Amino acid sequence: MTSPSADTTPRPAALTLTGLTRVFDTLRAVDGVSVDIAEGEFFTIVGPSGSGKSTLVRLLAGLDRPTSGSLHLRGRDITQVPANRRPTAMVFQSLALFDHRSVGQNIEFAMKMKGVPPARRRERALELLSLVRLPESYYDRPVTQCSGGERQRIAVARALASEPEILFFDEPLSALDYRLRKTLEVELKELHQRTGSTFIYITHSLEEAMIMSDRIAIMRDGKFVQIGTPAEIYARPMNRFVAGFMGEVNILPVEGGLFTDLDQPAPGAAGAYGVLRPEALQLDGAGAVGFEAEVAQRLMLGSRTQYHLTRGETKFIAEVPGGAPVLELGSRARFSFDPAAIAWVDD
Amino acid sequence: MRKPGVLFALPLIVFLLAVFALPMLIVAWYSLMPGRTFSLTAQPSLDNYRAILSAGYERPLMWSLIGATLTVAICAVLAWPTAKILHHHAGRWAVVVTALIALPIFISESVRMFGLYMFMMPGGGILAGTLNEVFGIRIGSLLNTRVGALLGMIYIHFPFMLFPTLLGVAMIPADRVDVARDLGAGGWAVFREVELPLAMPGLLIGGLLTFVLCIGANAEAAILGGRAVTVITAAIESRFNYAQDWPMGAALTMLMIAATALIVFPVLRRIDLNRIIRR
Repeated sequence: MTSPSADTTPRPAALTLTGLTRVFDTLRAVDGVSVDIAEGEFFTIVGPSGSGKSTLVRLLAGLDRPTSGSLHLRGRDITQVPANRRPTAMVFQSLALFDHRSVGQNIEFAMKMKGVPPARRRERALELLSLVRLPESYYDRPVTQCSGGERQRIAVARALASEPEILFFDEPLSALDYRLRKTLEVELKELHQRTGSTFIYITHSLEEAMIMSDRIAIMRDGKFVQIGTPAEIYARPMNRFVAGFMGEVNILPVEGGLFTDLDQPAPGAAGAYGVLRPEALQLDGAGAVGFEAEVAQRLMLGSRTQYHLTRGETKFIAEVPGGAPVLELGSRARFSFDPAAIAWVDD
Repeated sequence: MRKPGVLFALPLIVFLLAVFALPMLIVAWYSLMPGRTFSLTAQPSLDNYRAILSAGYERPLMWSLIGATLTVAICAVLAWPTAKILHHHAGRWAVVVTALIALPIFISESVRMFGLYMFMMPGGGILAGTLNEVFGIRIGSLLNTRVGALLGMIYIHFPFMLFPTLLGVAMIPADRVDVARDLGAGGWAVFREVELPLAMPGLLIGGLLTFVLCIGANAEAAILGGRAVTVITAAIESRFNYAQDWPMGAALTMLMIAATALIVFPVLRRIDLNRIIRR
């Protein structure tokens, strides 16, 4: 899941956040965030809306000043450096393309600001067009005539044109349809591998983060709740919030060595709650812990079938492979799981 | 009826033809009549237009154009920062400031002119008197100077520049400014590359409105400018009233309309009203 260079040898920090805080009136939008982001890393910050992730990336890009804390780029303090003098670039959620300019002029903007001569600018813009897989004929096209996916690529090319030491992405794919998003996720990951730059990516979708990132930080109420590789976060979520963020999960409270919802012993319980993925709850009867439940809803997901189950007041979610016999709504069936599949959390 | 649109537009078309096109045609026809007559049936000729060239009317026309251009330029320079501040600090006091700028429009222009007259009066005038009393500085009077007339023009026409500029400034999305800064643009570059082009429709509308109003203005020059400057409208007025030379007045009017059209139409073609309305 991670690139070969990740995690084995400690890499120098490209960006160091130390107690970064931004307060709006009484709201602590970003609350004491500290992390080292390594050179060449694809670091993703995931959080629900209102978690402060967009405020955080604006602090990193220099579009806003922190209330307290500091920011170091390769050891140099850039906390007070304004956005236009930071060697970083950002791809905006809205893309914020210059609609009054052509594709070429958009891409060349940062070079024009640096005083690069027009001929050299054009040459580099054409290189970038091919890097983001757009034909050279797009150079003279007005950006208003480009489709959503093309605009997306232009925004990336425009950010890359400033030769940033770090590239920020603020939910750039959120406005696109599912298929295009999937395509561009892979393209961004490849772009990261080809350029070797440090990418800091903001999203509300943990799935998107899992696909692309070397490391993920889960953000909630202005704080990082958990930082880790996608595999770590998937296997060992820190708490119910992180676990629930990865999609629908079953949360099983444990008290005195018993699953309170099931009235059965909880072998190996190592926390106050057991987090059980829907795909770990099966019909085959192979798991050590089993229970009977009523089918309240059935959703066909193609490769598998999702069942919403009720057992008294408690609800469960199970996902069984598509080949299994289909259960009727209102029928009762016995589901079971292997306690080893549980991730234990304390809160 | 195959085109109901034409039918619906008919009352307006008739109205415009009767009260707008027809008087213009009459003025145009009058300009071809012999000087100092009230006849509409004499042999038409271009004599009046020839007379304009030899009678020294190019100076009033020039003053009108210079005055209007200067007023537009200075109003634009003043309106831009005002509009930016009003837009970005929109709040209760922004409404108050907007109202303070807009309210004078509802007061008769001549009343405001005489207010300015009091302000600029020599010796005991509000400006000169205050400077003398408080700071002991003695200045001459701005009254009856070109600068006085220009100050009057700017004061009267500033709202007509400001409000379209405000519309233009509101058309600049904040993220475009952010992205420009992020890509290395300083304050001046952001203004030149992003803000100005995006706000241009508003600026052009304000500029045109102000320009056309200024070309047609004469009270400022007459009351505040005194004899220092004669504008084309004053010349036209004196032809119609004092000299009772309607054909000559009509010819000057046509000349003024032609000069204005030459400047206004090329600018008007650059404005995409659809884009402003669709916003």
